Amino acid sequence: MRKILLGTTAVVGAALLAPAAPAFAQEAPTVRIGGFFRAYYGYTQQSGRNSTTPYTLATNTSGASSNLQQQANGAVESTGGTARLSKNDFSTDGEVHVFVNGKTANGLTYGAVIEIAFNQQEGRNIVQQRASTGKTTASIDEWYAFIASPTWGQIRFGDEDGPVGGLMNSGVITNFGTGGIYGDRESFVTRQANTRTTTSPGGLGDNTKIIYLSPQFFGFDFGASFAFNYNEGEDTGCSSNASSGWCDTAYAFTGAANFGIAAAGPNQAVRRNEYQAALRWRGSLAGVGLSVTGGYVGAGAAKELSAITNAQRSVFQPLGVWQVGAQATAYGLTVGAQYEYGTSNFFWGNPMKGDRPMEQIFAGASYTVGPFTIGGNYQFQTVEGASRTSYSYNGAGNLVTTPNAAGAALMRRFGYGIGGNYRLAPGLDIVAEWSKFTVAERGRDLDPQRAGVQDRGTANVFILGTRLAF
Amino acid sequence: MAMKPVVLAVAFTLPLLAACGGNNQRLVNNDEYGDYRGSVARNRPRGADAGLVIFGVDKNREAREAAAAGTGLSVNAFLWRATLDTLSFMPLASADPFGGTIITDWYSPPGAGAERFRAQAYVLGRQLRSDGVRVQVFRQTLDRGQWLDSPVSTATNSELEDKVLARARELRSQSAAR
Repeated sequence: MRKILLGTTAVVGAALLAPAAPAFAQEAPTVRIGGFFRAYYGYTQQSGRNSTTPYTLATNTSGASSNLQQQANGAVESTGGTARLSKNDFSTDGEVHVFVNGKTANGLTYGAVIEIAFNQQEGRNIVQQRASTGKTTASIDEWYAFIASPTWGQIRFGDEDGPVGGLMNSGVITNFGTGGIYGDRESFVTRQANTRTTTSPGGLGDNTKIIYLSPQFFGFDFGASFAFNYNEGEDTGCSSNASSGWCDTAYAFTGAANFGIAAAGPNQAVRRNEYQAALRWRGSLAGVGLSVTGGYVGAGAAKELSAITNAQRSVFQPLGVWQVGAQATAYGLTVGAQYEYGTSNFFWGNPMKGDRPMEQIFAGASYTVGPFTIGGNYQFQTVEGASRTSYSYNGAGNLVTTPNAAGAALMRRFGYGIGGNYRLAPGLDIVAEWSKFTVAERGRDLDPQRAGVQDRGTANVFILGTRLAF
Repeated sequence: MAMKPVVLAVAFTLPLLAACGGNNQRLVNNDEYGDYRGSVARNRPRGADAGLVIFGVDKNREAREAAAAGTGLSVNAFLWRATLDTLSFMPLASADPFGGTIITDWYSPPGAGAERFRAQAYVLGRQLRSDGVRVQVFRQTLDRGQWLDSPVSTATNSELEDKVLARARELRSQSAAR
């Protein structure tokens, strides 16, 4: 019998002589194209939704503080060059994702993710008369390579969110509509009074970092990441030998005190040596799925550099925010909440010295039944107001500090979103959502076109549309 | 900045702890991490499949086509094929890909005169794993014109299982190389 078997299955016999490796089969890398496309109708009610200054060229060269209109009490309200903006708009957006996935014979999985986005330009950008980039110019959202093993976990290396900044958060319920208060509402809100949600986990940024994500053991997994600075992509950004904020390795640059708060494009942020760490537990108790995350993000800051005296001065606090969140899921119902506290401004930027800390709560719930999902979420934040300490140079090139104005107020940023979606087909959703976000700061005029001090700016956005994931 | 040493210590000790998980440890899948595009939550819609595969094996499509053709094996295809290959030197009495059973007819190897064999194989599941196949060999000897049941060495069964597994492994690696 044995003889015959060996004779008739000689090929099998040969296979037996191959080295005895664990039973992992090597897989050649697959390359997959995925992504999403969505088209929305939006109806927006926004305070101060006017164009304010007649302009000839793009004016987006100064810091974000110029978007946050400031007007001293009693100053004459400007009246010229203003016109109402329409409340109705369509908005389209999409991304094309390339996924590479492979597996080695010893069980290691590896691959890369390249996400091509088309929303980098908020408006068409005219640099010179004919040198311009279109609004739908392609750019990279996230791209990274990864290697993962069941034994030691996963390493991601590239432009990607961190463990605290989106990967491992618990309690941030956004799985309905377009995401509620952290959804696509910004596609319809103009810059007036900056009534935008700016501190979602993902707002922390997908700057180039190296990320370690552990395996899950006894329900726990953890992650940590490190980034040298706030920049992404290939080059240093130092396109000239001037020490500028665009130069991502600059320890100090002139204008940091103005532009360093993630202002004129995120690439000028002063954030340096950013590290994140998060610990997550997931499990189920009596049929209720639970998830709890605690985490911390910290970072140093670049300094202000005097162009005349060459003196460097530290004007920013280090970034340092604690975060804790929890959520529970049962029978299609998910509820969750998250709390954050630490030194940060309203844009995940390093706050100026003397600024008060940021504090934020988030709560949300969603319910899924069959093809329907409905939900709502709420966010409330207190943060340093616009009357914070400011810095300017005198004629001799010395930095002069103007401390917080007397009676400097705290800024409150809060809002809610409610929405739902209907799954028409796998990957295809009809979504509807209503959201409202308010910025309020006592004594600060957030709408200079209206008489008197309007210390509150609000944007309501209604979205109806469709989203396809492929 | 006082945070830094703590975070560094945690960063170095936790991976070591992770190595102690044993059976309670598993790799976290990529879809268990959140996903944001800038400040906007990017909800992963339910029901999306592997999408458009440019290079490589589209497993979703294989599964779809198998289901559409009505020939979907309810057991692991590699183990099934390997079992058929291994037992093909004997005449087949029945093969049920849904139940995962293969039963051969009696077979007397040339030169073995007074003994004959029959085999039953069970492929036990969809996964390619070493305990996914069972083989049982029956033996009879001719005694004064009558076939009588005779014992089979237990090693024979497991050796046949090993051959099936080796063949399955070979088939698997061939298909991965394509």
